[in-house]
Amino acid sequence: MKKTKINNTLSSSFRDPSGFLFYRNGFLYRQINIGYKDNYDLLMESGLYGALVKDGLLIPHKETSDQKIENKNVYKIIKPEVINFVSYPYEWCFSQLKNAALVTLAIQKKSLEFGMSLKDANAYNIQFKDGRPLLIDTLSFEKYQEGKPWIAYKQFCQHFLAPLALMSYKDIRFNKLLQIYLDGIPLDLASSLLPRKAYYKISLLSHIKFHAKSQQHFSDRKINMNKHRMSRLSLQGLIDNLENSIKGLKWQPVGTEWADYYEETNYSGASMQHKKQIVDKFLEKIKPKNLWDLGANTGAFSQIAADKGISTISFDIDPAVVEKNYLRCVKQGEKNILPLIIDLTNPSPSIGWENKERLSLPERGPADAVLALALIHHLSISNNLPFNKIAHFFNKICNYLIIEFIPKNDSQIQKLLLNREDIFTDYTQQDFEREFNKYFIIQKSIEINDSKRSLYLMQKKDANS
Amino acid sequence: MNLLKKLVAIVLMLLALPHNSYAYLDPGTGSYIIQLIMAVFLGGIFALKIFWKQIKIFFVKIFSKNQFNEKNKN
Repeated sequence: MKKTKINNTLSSSFRDPSGFLFYRNGFLYRQINIGYKDNYDLLMESGLYGALVKDGLLIPHKETSDQKIENKNVYKIIKPEVINFVSYPYEWCFSQLKNAALVTLAIQKKSLEFGMSLKDANAYNIQFKDGRPLLIDTLSFEKYQEGKPWIAYKQFCQHFLAPLALMSYKDIRFNKLLQIYLDGIPLDLASSLLPRKAYYKISLLSHIKFHAKSQQHFSDRKINMNKHRMSRLSLQGLIDNLENSIKGLKWQPVGTEWADYYEETNYSGASMQHKKQIVDKFLEKIKPKNLWDLGANTGAFSQIAADKGISTISFDIDPAVVEKNYLRCVKQGEKNILPLIIDLTNPSPSIGWENKERLSLPERGPADAVLALALIHHLSISNNLPFNKIAHFFNKICNYLIIEFIPKNDSQIQKLLLNREDIFTDYTQQDFEREFNKYFIIQKSIEINDSKRSLYLMQKKDANS
Repeated sequence: MNLLKKLVAIVLMLLALPHNSYAYLDPGTGSYIIQLIMAVFLGGIFALKIFWKQIKIFFVKIFSKNQFNEKNKN
C-alpha cells in the first residue's frame, strides 16, 4: 500500500468539516473525516444510501482502500461516480432549478423515513447526471434529532424558493442573481423584489416575506432553541408545504428573442437537411469524446451528437430555448444532452473564495469538439468581435471546431445591418479563413446546398507549432 | 404586519436561554423561529392531508370491492 499526502484538494470543498474532495492520479475521491463516522455509518447501514441510489437521487460511490492516506482525520476514502460536466445554478433554466429543488425535498423526505435529515440544501450540491438532477454530496446527511427544526431551511429558501419565485413572478433573468450571491438570494432582497401578487400565495408570504422579517428581527438576539421543539409531523408538514410551493411556481418559455428561431429561419428544408448531414459526417470523422454546442437553440444539432452517444452540452443565451431544450430532453429521456444558459460574450467567470470556488467556463473545458452553427455573425456583427478574437477564444476551449460561416449577403446578416452602418469591412470569407487558420488547421469546408453558407471542420493547431 | 409582530412577540416570550449549535451551517435564529411559528399550522394541515388520504383510500377500496363483487355476480 502506497502512502500519499493529499495536496490536490478541490477548491470548492472546504466549508463542511465532515470531509473533502481531492484528485489523485486523475481520479476524484472524497475523504470522510473521523468526526463524521457515526453519520456516514448510519447513512450506509440504515438503508438510506441504498434507497436514494436506487431512486437515482444520490451519487453512487465505492469505498476504496487501495491507497492509505497520511492524514490523522481520515475515517474512510470513497470514490464517487464521475459527473461529466459540473454546471452551476446560475447556468440552469427555470425547470432545471425547479427539479433540483424537488430532488432536494424528495431526499429530505426519504431521509426522515430512515431517521436522518439533510444538514444543508445547497443548490451546488445538485448536479445533472444522465439528464437527471441528483445529490453529489454524500456527507450532507446527519442523524435526525427528534424535535429539531430543519437546519437547512434558510439555505433551501435562499438557493431554491427565492430565485424560482423571482423567475416566475418577476423576470426569468433573475437566475443570474445566484452568480452574485453564492449562498443564495438574501431573503430580504427577494422579499423586496417580489411583486405584491406573489404574496397572494400564503406559502411565499410565509417562507419569503415573513421569513425575511423574522431574520431581521432576530438577527442580534440570542435565543435558546433547545427549549422548544418542532414535532416530526410539523417538519414533514414544512417539507410538504415547500414541495407544494415549488410545484406551484410556473414559467412559460415564450416571447423571448430566440424561442421561435427554427420557425423563423430562412433555411429551406433541403439546406437544413444538408446541414444536418454535414454535421453528422464531421462528427463521424472526428468521433469526439464530448461536445459543446454553442448557440444550440432548442438542441436540434446537439441531438445528432447525442444520438451517437456523445456527451453534449447545449449552450444558449436565451433562457426560453434552454427551457424548451431541457423539457424536450426530459420528455424524451435524453441522457446525453445537458442544456445550459451561457452568454458567450460574457461566459461564467471563476467566482467565490479566492476566485476558485466555482470555475469559469474555459476552466471546465476544453471540450473535445465545439459546434458553432449560425453563431459567427452574432459574435462578429452584433457584438463587434473581430474574427481573430473569436478564433483565439475557440482555440482555448476545444480541440476540434465545426463552424458555420455566413456571408454578408445572407438575409440574416442583412437584418442585423438594417438599422446600422456597415462598418464590418473585414467580414469576408477570406478574412475568416485567414484568421482561423492562425489557430486551427482547416481540414474541410463544404458549402451548404441551396444557401451561401459554408460549414468548416477545423483542428486546433499544436500549441508548439 | 401587526399580526407578524404579535406572533414574533409571543415566540419571544416563550424563548429565553442562549442558543447552542455544533453544525457547520448557521441555521439562522430567525429561520428557526419562523419554522416554529409555522410548525403548528403546517403540522395540522399535514395531519389533515394524511387523514384525508386515508379516507379516500378507504372509500376507493370499498368502491372497488363492490365493483369486483358486482362483476363476479354478473
